[in-house]
Amino acid sequence: MTKLFFATDLHGSEVCWKKFLNAAKFYDADVLICGGDMTGKAIVPVVSENGHYSVVLGGERQTVTAEQVSDVEGNIRRKGYYPLRMSVERLHELDQNPAMRAECFQEVMLDGVERWMNMAAEKLRGTGIRCFVCPGNDDEMEVDEVVRRAELVELGEGRMVDVDGFSMISTGWSNPTPWNTHREDSEEKLAERIEAMAAKVPDQSRAIFNLHCPPFKSGLDEAPAIDADLKLLHGGRALRPVGSTAVRQAIERYQPLLSLHGHIHESKGATKIGKTLSINPGSAYEEGMLMGAIVQLDARKGIKSYQLVNG
Amino acid sequence: MADTTMGTATRPALFLRNATGLVKAWSTFDAFVYSFWSINLITLGLYGMSYVYTVPDGQVLAGILLFGVLVTFLVITYAMLVSVMPRTGGDYAWQSRVLGGGPGFVLSITGWWFTLFLWAPIYANILVVQFFSPLAYTLRWDGVATFFTSQTGIFVSCLIVLAFVSIVVTMGMETYARIQKICFWIGLAGLAVVCGLLLFYSQSDFQAAFNREATSLFGAPANAYQGTIDAASKTFSGASFSTFTFGPLLLLLPWLAFYLLWPNWGATLYGEVRGAKDIRKPFWSMFAGLWVTVAMVAVVVLLINKTIGWNFYQSANAAYWNNLFAVQGAAAPPVPIWPYPVMFAGFLVDNHLFQALLIIVMGLWFFGWAGTLFLSSTRVIFAAAFDRVLPSWAANISAKRRVPYGSLVLMIVPSIVISAIYAYKPDFTSVFLDATAVLALTFFATVVAAIILPWRRKDLYDASPIAGYKIAGVPTISIVGVITGLFLLFMLYQWSFNPDNLYGTSLQKTPNSVIYFVATYVVAIAIYVAARIVRNRQGIDLSRIHHEIPVE
Repeated sequence: MTKLFFATDLHGSEVCWKKFLNAAKFYDADVLICGGDMTGKAIVPVVSENGHYSVVLGGERQTVTAEQVSDVEGNIRRKGYYPLRMSVERLHELDQNPAMRAECFQEVMLDGVERWMNMAAEKLRGTGIRCFVCPGNDDEMEVDEVVRRAELVELGEGRMVDVDGFSMISTGWSNPTPWNTHREDSEEKLAERIEAMAAKVPDQSRAIFNLHCPPFKSGLDEAPAIDADLKLLHGGRALRPVGSTAVRQAIERYQPLLSLHGHIHESKGATKIGKTLSINPGSAYEEGMLMGAIVQLDARKGIKSYQLVNG
Repeated sequence: MADTTMGTATRPALFLRNATGLVKAWSTFDAFVYSFWSINLITLGLYGMSYVYTVPDGQVLAGILLFGVLVTFLVITYAMLVSVMPRTGGDYAWQSRVLGGGPGFVLSITGWWFTLFLWAPIYANILVVQFFSPLAYTLRWDGVATFFTSQTGIFVSCLIVLAFVSIVVTMGMETYARIQKICFWIGLAGLAVVCGLLLFYSQSDFQAAFNREATSLFGAPANAYQGTIDAASKTFSGASFSTFTFGPLLLLLPWLAFYLLWPNWGATLYGEVRGAKDIRKPFWSMFAGLWVTVAMVAVVVLLINKTIGWNFYQSANAAYWNNLFAVQGAAAPPVPIWPYPVMFAGFLVDNHLFQALLIIVMGLWFFGWAGTLFLSSTRVIFAAAFDRVLPSWAANISAKRRVPYGSLVLMIVPSIVISAIYAYKPDFTSVFLDATAVLALTFFATVVAAIILPWRRKDLYDASPIAGYKIAGVPTISIVGVITGLFLLFMLYQWSFNPDNLYGTSLQKTPNSVIYFVATYVVAIAIYVAARIVRNRQGIDLSRIHHEIPVE
């Protein structure tokens, strides 16, 4: 019996990453799978001036002493943002210069991923627990190299791996989004990307499709409708299926045992597409809450049980 | 790749990169509309206020204002909970995460699932008295009007409500949100017409108009205005708008709860949209929904007093309800239908087509609101199904039309049974009167969760935007929670133990109610225990769903 713990869309929340690593022991899981979108969306400047640090968090400006600043930084990381100490001059420089800001973002994100990989090494060393990470559409391409170098974390993107006798294929690429993120493809190209891996799977009844983007119209892909200006329509009550048709077609065609998804945080759920159990555990990284799925795989029965948890 | 900065003109506070889900702020107005509908001043408000004749010394205007102040604490409590735990499924999720999985399931499912069955026939009754009956009488379709007062007519009305709700859910919330907005603006225009009529006509104009239409539409004898007061006087001592006594004022609160207790009805939905973590948005939407309604009710009440006459209006209510409930000595009023102030205002224009049109336009207050009957319930059922407490099919959604058929079946089938009981078994009336009380009990459990949240889920609280909100070192959420809790406890006490059975829900006088609600709690406990056993056999430990994974 193999027990998987799957979580996704941590978006830079260090608390969620620490919980993810501890989930193996907490839920007696043998394998950890992080589904993508690990990196944060924002840098919060911690501005040094007159011997103090000032920071704006949640719309409120705080001024703290040098002794207190690390607590504030911890709080910022908890929410999935990157705290970055800087002078007033540096702040204005970044504000004025988009190229410099992009460079700064990348540096900070890669440092964050590197730190997470080191945490994983410390936590998992000697446990025998395997840990897979597959960067998602929000993660820059350079993240892959940092994960690839990690001591005890295996990169999932673009390959088939054996997980206790089950074959897992992974991709963090998604269909196009309104945000024009780092790993987006047309449905046709996404289908080719999945096909290249799926065709190699020897036994689909023992296959796991770890595809960041959920299947179209699966109930796992319902996001609030937005207009061209990215404003929510009807107070967010109007939901639209935004998943990938390529992902759906791959699942319908190959009928893997299990498919794991993320991408749409609001669309937590589990559903059957033919013989395939498809799961999106959702994400509440901003609360520091790790939403995940525990799946017990049986060599003979396939999926013995599954459970969505909030840890 | 584009990115942005956020902050003041002089200093950026945040550098954002382009990433999935970074949408712009949601509209507080949309959320306000939802809250405004939830405490629908026409549909629920006028219906609920037709019972306040039972507290003749209670000053309604003061009661409404006091209720508004007290419910503001409920609004703050819920806004803070949304801010701490958004996108989490409302009362069920808050209770299960703070109070524990079992108590959370039992307390929330009884309110949001089992008690919502009772609201279908209540909605149906409102549809009859505010739409079918007055419209049919105005159009001289007396047969239709009489049919909807029969047991079968009431049951048919229940089925119409359930069909409407099902169609709305099937159409999807996006379509319904559009319908709601249309209903909102046309309904407001209709209300302006009603208020204008009541403002510009005098009480003597109304008396003449009422007497004219009572004879014309209902065949009542001359001077039906005085006849109504006389009929009521057999069981009702009369009411004065200017009477002010504090004790009776408090006794009004459980009646006003029927419509003013629900500005937080959409709290589960607020939690699912971006920006809800900022407490100001859920707070202002609920607060504005509450206080705009309170202000409108105040205007309507003042206009009723001015033009219809407070003693007449309360006498008409007393005569209608006491006759319907067969109170000893009650006499039938000359106008045999529920006293609908909209219809009364329409009487001021001597034109039946105009009167019918006004009733239809004001009916949009019903149709814009009724579609959300089961919306929150389906969310709670989804959440329980995701937690594996309920079977996974309960969260099923059809692939083609996105219909949540699992949860709809769980809501509609029992609602049909309950509707039949409502229509054909008058002995169970008290069960339906308790519908507000059981939801208040669910809210009370959520408020208890809010009070202890800073200690029970310190991690979540400390990381939330409200962690810094303290009064004398005590978390504000706990303080406002205690005030809200006392307010809810007072009403729960009155509903359960009022010695005069004022609300028709006192436990010692309504054994059917007690049996029904004890049964719902027993069923909820049984479902949870059965789920624990079944899932345990499947290797699933339900107790760990909300257990926090250690960080270090």
